[in-house]
Amino acid sequence: MELTYSLIGVIGTLAVSFIVSLLLPGIERKFIQARIQQRVGPPITSPGVMAPIKFFFKQTIDPVSPMPRLYNALPLISLIIIIILLLLLIPQMYFLGALASIIAIIGLLKVEEIMYMFMGSLSKSVLSVRMPFPDRAKGAAHPDTPRTFFEELSSLRAFRLIAFGSFPIYIALFVAVAMTGSLYLSDIIAYQQTNGPILFTLAGALGAIVFFIGYMILLNEYPFSILKGKPDVVEGPYLEYAAKYRAYVYITRGFLMFTLATLFATLFLGIAPNILNPSFIVTLIVALLFPMIMAVMSAFSPIFTYKQFYPTVAGVSIIGVVAIVAALL
Amino acid sequence: MDDKKENRTVIEAEVPMGTVHPGALEPYRLRLFVEDEIVRDAEMTVGVNHRGVERIMEGLPVEKANSLTEKICGICSNIHIWNSCRVGEIALGIEVPERAVYIRVIMGELERLHSHILYLAHGCEVLGHETFSMRLFYIRETVMELLRMIGGNRVQYGSAVLGGVRPRCELDEMRIQKLTEGMNLLEEGLNDFANRFVSDPMVMSRITGVGVTSPEDALRLACSGPTLRATGVELDLRTEMFEYDPFEYDVITEDDGDVKSQLLTRVFENFESIKIIRQAIRNLPDGPITNRSWEMQDTPITKSYIEAPRGTLYHSYALEDGRVRNCVIRTPSMANIGAMQYSAIGHHITDAQLCIVQCDPCFTCTDRAIQIIKR
Repeated sequence: MELTYSLIGVIGTLAVSFIVSLLLPGIERKFIQARIQQRVGPPITSPGVMAPIKFFFKQTIDPVSPMPRLYNALPLISLIIIIILLLLLIPQMYFLGALASIIAIIGLLKVEEIMYMFMGSLSKSVLSVRMPFPDRAKGAAHPDTPRTFFEELSSLRAFRLIAFGSFPIYIALFVAVAMTGSLYLSDIIAYQQTNGPILFTLAGALGAIVFFIGYMILLNEYPFSILKGKPDVVEGPYLEYAAKYRAYVYITRGFLMFTLATLFATLFLGIAPNILNPSFIVTLIVALLFPMIMAVMSAFSPIFTYKQFYPTVAGVSIIGVVAIVAALL
Repeated sequence: MDDKKENRTVIEAEVPMGTVHPGALEPYRLRLFVEDEIVRDAEMTVGVNHRGVERIMEGLPVEKANSLTEKICGICSNIHIWNSCRVGEIALGIEVPERAVYIRVIMGELERLHSHILYLAHGCEVLGHETFSMRLFYIRETVMELLRMIGGNRVQYGSAVLGGVRPRCELDEMRIQKLTEGMNLLEEGLNDFANRFVSDPMVMSRITGVGVTSPEDALRLACSGPTLRATGVELDLRTEMFEYDPFEYDVITEDDGDVKSQLLTRVFENFESIKIIRQAIRNLPDGPITNRSWEMQDTPITKSYIEAPRGTLYHSYALEDGRVRNCVIRTPSMANIGAMQYSAIGHHITDAQLCIVQCDPCFTCTDRAIQIIKR
């Protein structure tokens, strides 16, 4: 009976999360960005539901890639990683021990970040080197220079983001660890059920700010969208994804938005995602609020180049370190 | 072409962009030579959209040829037909009625407004600031509707004809009232935008000190229009055009020559255009709008320079049996674009497109055969 109860909890939570995550991109674009920009915006089901459905029925193109199968599989792998991540946050899965800990979460998020690197390095788009144009005519500058694709450039940027861009979110995760003295999610939740949510402490409030900036960086949202900046690398690692593979990209993004918000609710509010618990409504509210705040910030920001990105990440990371110190004290 | 030497400096990598690129909007090939994402050299190639308008104009009746010049550009169409008519009027000695001159100035300034606002919107889009871009398009809509009201169309107005303007462009009381209201609305919108724009630290951080062109370089590379004025050079062809003699306005200059200066020059020029339009409405003379008392005759090649929204526009042709011969058109973007590929050097790749679009390039205008004469 208990096993059935747990299974219902896990499957139900995943199903509801999946449905909500499909609506999040639409809510972000329709109710925030479009309103700010004084336009009607798309129907709320359009970006997250209808677009993927449409793409599933489109003809797939063969990408020009050294490993086309791996390249096409990467969005699906990303989606699976995010699903596993959400699965590990559900309380019924805490019996897995070390897998339901901050270390496992960081590991999975890192794998997710590395996917962008692989996507970028395995793609050769038509928009740059392959665009036929007689630019090697007599008199052309630097004729022997090695030529790079946009995706290779975005792959390098993904590598840099792994190195420094993800600092804020990982530091924010350790605020909860420093406060509770445990890496395990079960302990972090138990601590907050006894002492109240971490969010309402100084360390927690600072950590929440840092987490939110990290959330935006991880989602490559404006102003932190240098990985897929329209003025140069266009769509970056996703440029050549078409048909069902692009559908996976869209679904993964929505699901990542939901999962990261759920992670926040777990670590800073002590509310794990569980459909059988009435407090799941708080998780849903957080999942809705995060994209909305992000949409407001994105609507009023230009794309950051490294000149703005480095100081922002450094500043936010310092706040994160202060939060950890405050948590330890 | 044979004189060109290949530049063989060793550079880490080349990032070719275009000829189709969403950041560019128009077709050109940009080769960026980069080291650690910093542009060390840049090379731009145009020629994808060559349409040969001058060749089509050859042998056409002058009125038809004038209409055709309007098709050169979808943004500054009016200035082309105005300048083309101006060539004919200078050659044939046609006196344009004063009221027609005023209406031409109003159309010219409205076009400058819509061109500058479009430029600002595009600049914000390349910056990644879609909200600013959208709001500017809303502001621009007022100008587009005024242009439609006078010219009957939003892109090809066909207002200028030899000897004046078309009868449909006559300004009655209702139109003058709408122009007055439109200018008030526009001034309010642009004021709001300008205040928000200059007080946004993130935007300022992206555009300050980026893509600097010195006044010496701008003059050496033959830049013109707002692109030149943004480097601190006070040169505006309108001050030499008789059409603008009755109007009081300031020539806007900025000192830094960077993207910020380029954007702000256009913002402030908008207010000067509003000022000119208000004066033109207030002092609009009575009288006819077309002079039909002229005779066609053969003329030698006649030149006319005019201040287009992007800079100096040149048209010239000769007339033979009422038909156009040896037509030459040079648009301002040709020189301005060439200068911008130098301004991208030393900046991050993400800033490179911004450095190019800061001169308000129009590639479809520019794609025409040219002969470079070294002096």
